[in-house]
Amino acid sequence: MITFSNVNKWYGDYRALADINAEVQKGEVVVVCGPSGSGKSTLIRTVNRLEEIKSGRLTFDGQDVHAPMSSAQLNRLRSRVGFVFQSFNLFPHLSALDNVMLSPMHVNGVKRSEARDQAMQLLERVGLASKALSYPAQLSGGQQQRVAIARALAMKPPAMLFDEPTSALDPEMVGEVLAVMRSLAADGMTMMCVTHEMNFAREVADRVWFMDAGSILESAAPESFFKNPQHPRAQRFLSDLRAH
Amino acid sequence: MFSIFEILRDNWLLLLIGQYPNGPLGGIACTLILSVLGILLAFPLSVLLALARLSPWRLLNWPATALVYVARGVPLLMIILWVYFLVPLLIGRNVSGFVTMLCTLVLYEGAYLAEVVRAGIEALPKGQMEAARALGHSHLGAMRLVILPQALFNMLPSMLSQFVSTIKETTLGYVINVPELTFAANQINNQLLTKPFQVFFILAIIYFIVCWSLTRAATALERRIEARRAGPRRAGTAPQPTVVVETLAAEP
Amino acid sequence: MKGFDLMAILLNPEFGRMLWHGAQMTLVIALGSWLFAMSLAVVLLVVRLTPSRIAQRGVVAYVSYHQNVPTLVQLMLWYFGISSLLPDVLQGWLGEHSGESVFAIIALGLCQAAYFSEDLRSGLRSVPPGQAEAARALGHGYVGAMRHVLMPQAIRNAVPALVNHSVSLFKNSSLAMAIGVAELTHAVKEIENQSFRAFESYLIATLMYLAFSLLIMFAGAWLGRRARVATAR
Repeated sequence: MITFSNVNKWYGDYRALADINAEVQKGEVVVVCGPSGSGKSTLIRTVNRLEEIKSGRLTFDGQDVHAPMSSAQLNRLRSRVGFVFQSFNLFPHLSALDNVMLSPMHVNGVKRSEARDQAMQLLERVGLASKALSYPAQLSGGQQQRVAIARALAMKPPAMLFDEPTSALDPEMVGEVLAVMRSLAADGMTMMCVTHEMNFAREVADRVWFMDAGSILESAAPESFFKNPQHPRAQRFLSDLRAH
Repeated sequence: MFSIFEILRDNWLLLLIGQYPNGPLGGIACTLILSVLGILLAFPLSVLLALARLSPWRLLNWPATALVYVARGVPLLMIILWVYFLVPLLIGRNVSGFVTMLCTLVLYEGAYLAEVVRAGIEALPKGQMEAARALGHSHLGAMRLVILPQALFNMLPSMLSQFVSTIKETTLGYVINVPELTFAANQINNQLLTKPFQVFFILAIIYFIVCWSLTRAATALERRIEARRAGPRRAGTAPQPTVVVETLAAEP
Repeated sequence: MKGFDLMAILLNPEFGRMLWHGAQMTLVIALGSWLFAMSLAVVLLVVRLTPSRIAQRGVVAYVSYHQNVPTLVQLMLWYFGISSLLPDVLQGWLGEHSGESVFAIIALGLCQAAYFSEDLRSGLRSVPPGQAEAARALGHGYVGAMRHVLMPQAIRNAVPALVNHSVSLFKNSSLAMAIGVAELTHAVKEIENQSFRAFESYLIATLMYLAFSLLIMFAGAWLGRRARVATAR
């Protein structure tokens, strides 16, 4: 579904992404972890071209993401990649329902009544049907992030990307967002998540990618990664995590 | 269009200092003196008004607030008419247009500057006043020694911006025959009669050069102050917000 | 000095008529220039957002000129200066059809458009960058993102500044007196000339100006509150 072939990104001397070769299969859940500054966010943002790459090839569902294309083509490509931000980025002047309905109507041309029905279904799915008419300012962080997930799902993407979805949340709200992500994975959604939530990775991920200094240093199934990390930096990272 | 240079060449003295020495000091000199005096005298008034507006005593707060709202809600021209009418009554003899205009500017700018000062005071972190009181300073003492020095320094760019507004406001002196720059230009126009566009174009350009240079200076000053305050960034100290020069209302 | 007698002004039919016409003229000028200024401000903003450097510099120059030249001088330049450049036929027509008011609306509108466009631009700049990112990530194009996500928030952010400048515009209508428009301040000065009752006539005009300015300010504050409730983060 998502393939990285020799993907590189640099600014002058600084290497943001170094020779990334990896693949996310259809239906797979991949968790990307590592210390801050390792390039995890940059990596995931190259998939929908919120970040550019300097060399290499990146394909999403068979399409070359970084090929030269018109802005209309890029918009169409982006509409097929579901993206959930760390800071939710809900549109504050619209209700939760309007947030979810907006893009299917104005990007995909879905009719208003149909968009509304689908939006209500999605809000139900994330457990927020009762808050459909509330504005983001009236919702807690966990609720806002769940609406953001519904908003991304409304575009019916073949894959969902999560950029540290729970890092900006108070601890007691992390669980409700992870629960939604868990149910998405159980339904067979292809997912790529940058996260620090190691329990989530252990229970839901099919593979874990460990990144540092712009490279994927280790890629393994969660049980083997957490029990037996091969790369010394991965070992150090995991022991630092456990120290808390 | 060469007539522009001719007009400038023939009338530059009139534009610069008016009829002086055959009459009162006029032209750009009059404009600048009026503006500088206006803002200097308005400044202490504005500090008092700002403190009054922030005070919890209604006896101070309400009149000050009323004065500020009147200045914000009534056209400057109307206030000029009032002052022109009231001042001779109050002091028993006639006053020149210059003095009338000066009094008006002091009142008007005093009210507007009061809002600028108030914003500057309120933009300081509450911790400053709390720390000063905790050390035993009285409210006024804390104001004088801790709050106002910081607030006024931060407000320098905004005050410079108000000075530019004051310069623009002096043009209304034309209506009561204050011999400032706009009046001088109209005199020239009344003599020449055939070149109104050139005369007023010159007038606009002169004001543009003066005001634009001062505005640039204000923006540069604002940037230097912000850089100074951001200083070497230490973890845990956030930079204080500058009250942006942009937020001032247009003055006629 | 005659005693304070408000009714001498208000009940006098001649003065009443002058006041009424003056107030009407003030509102016509204020409203006309406000509509002109708002429309032009949107155009200026759109031009400013185009990638053309010339267009951007043009808008910057326009704003800079209108913010640094006093409004009274701008009025004079239009009414005395630019009108003299117009063909005689047009000058004659304007002379008979209250050209002063036309020039007043043009000059005031052009001046305030500069301030309004800067207010809108500030409003747009204060929308957090994450909003544009989210809109792009969902597949919206530039126009769609502007229309549905960015401009609604920009306008809500700009409301306080727009209201302030609207009050300024209303007050600036009095400057039209200097080019002979018979608006409220002019009417009141005429009444004073005829009745020698400066205090009463000035008071009436002051109260009328104050009432309307306060109305705009409080309506604006209410709008600002509603806007903030909707967009509070």
